[in-house]
Amino acid sequence: MTEQEILDKGYANPDALVSTQWVADNLDNTENYRIVESDEDVLLYDIGHVPNSVKIDWVEDLNDPLMRDYLDPEHFANLMAEKGIGPDTTVIFYGDRNNWWATYALWVFRLFGHENVKVMDGGRVKWEAEGREMTQDVPSFPRAEYPVPERDDSRIRAFKEDVDKHLDVSGPLVDVRSPGEYKGELLHMPDYPQEGALRGGHIPGAANVPWARAVREDGTFKSADELRGIYEGEAGLSDGEDVIAYCRIGERSSHTWFVLSYLLGYDNVRNYDGSWTEWGNLVRAPIER
Amino acid sequence: MEPTLDRKSRVALLVEHVESPRHKGALESADVVVPGGSPECGGSVTVYLQGDGNGGVEALTWTGQGDTISMGSTSIVVDRIVSEKLTMDEILAEDYDQLVDLIGRDIIRNRKRHATLGLSTIKAAVRQYQKKIRTTQPKTRS
Repeated sequence: MTEQEILDKGYANPDALVSTQWVADNLDNTENYRIVESDEDVLLYDIGHVPNSVKIDWVEDLNDPLMRDYLDPEHFANLMAEKGIGPDTTVIFYGDRNNWWATYALWVFRLFGHENVKVMDGGRVKWEAEGREMTQDVPSFPRAEYPVPERDDSRIRAFKEDVDKHLDVSGPLVDVRSPGEYKGELLHMPDYPQEGALRGGHIPGAANVPWARAVREDGTFKSADELRGIYEGEAGLSDGEDVIAYCRIGERSSHTWFVLSYLLGYDNVRNYDGSWTEWGNLVRAPIER
Repeated sequence: MEPTLDRKSRVALLVEHVESPRHKGALESADVVVPGGSPECGGSVTVYLQGDGNGGVEALTWTGQGDTISMGSTSIVVDRIVSEKLTMDEILAEDYDQLVDLIGRDIIRNRKRHATLGLSTIKAAVRQYQKKIRTTQPKTRS
């Protein structure tokens, strides 16, 4: 796939994606770009990664260790400095699982106002399938200056109270989990009830569009027309509406947030990161099955 | 238990188990079949357990998909149970922290759930097997 092929897919913001070829051509442009691998499978980076890429792990790097929240601005600035990322560095995210975790990391970067972000279309699976170079060498970059930013939780993040208000006005919600989770058939794994929820089902009125439907078999995103067919044709969403997406802990729904915000150009999409692990445990929260 | 191998070797061990998983596959003669985990988050396994009717394990296999930590550690655990012929009670006594130490806290860090997915599901299978045996055995008056 070339940049022309990304343009041909008709996205509202084609600049949000780069091709694997573009990344291969820009591996050494480490002054302006930083390639970031973010995976579900945390060991993949050790096994082999795109040359000159750095790892950002959502569990270890992006979460606050004590409070259920993301890292604070000081820690974000320090993380950026360590990875050699300045405020103007363009960050190219890629990862496993169809870029699910890559878009999650991107969403967290946006909370801190880091606007120069892109995703490598096709992610790790496409890079590997094309037989491109992988390395176990961990690059080191000079420490960057990254001023402590402000975190804006209002524009792209939704909290429980926002969902309550949303329900009052029957605002559009999209549940991006699997149909089994949506219907309340799957709850949690044995011995680990804390990982799941006390009740199964979904937030009343939510449409169910499993996140991976946005992706083709080769890991690249579907075209804008195909995406509109799914999110607008099937799920009834439309641009201009205030959309809230959720899943289990907010990771899969950041993928859908990326699709709606960047690829389809929706202005008001928020990711409810409390998601089912909050809602499904909340006293008196209404549920549908 | 301190890990005896360095980080790279322990990662290599997990990868080797992922590439050549031990005792992987469905088991038709299983007494209990127990699923665990989430296919969407970290991984899922299904454990197939056949008892020998005497507190021991006749056969133990698994299927599943997930990340390197969850699949590698499941293969390592199943391999150990089978090769050391652990009894059902010994399986229940297996310590999660020891397993985490064996694979390495430096690798697992906050992904303990992934590392213990296999063992926790095997324990669930053992408990289900024991319950099944208790309820199917004829009740005797004492």
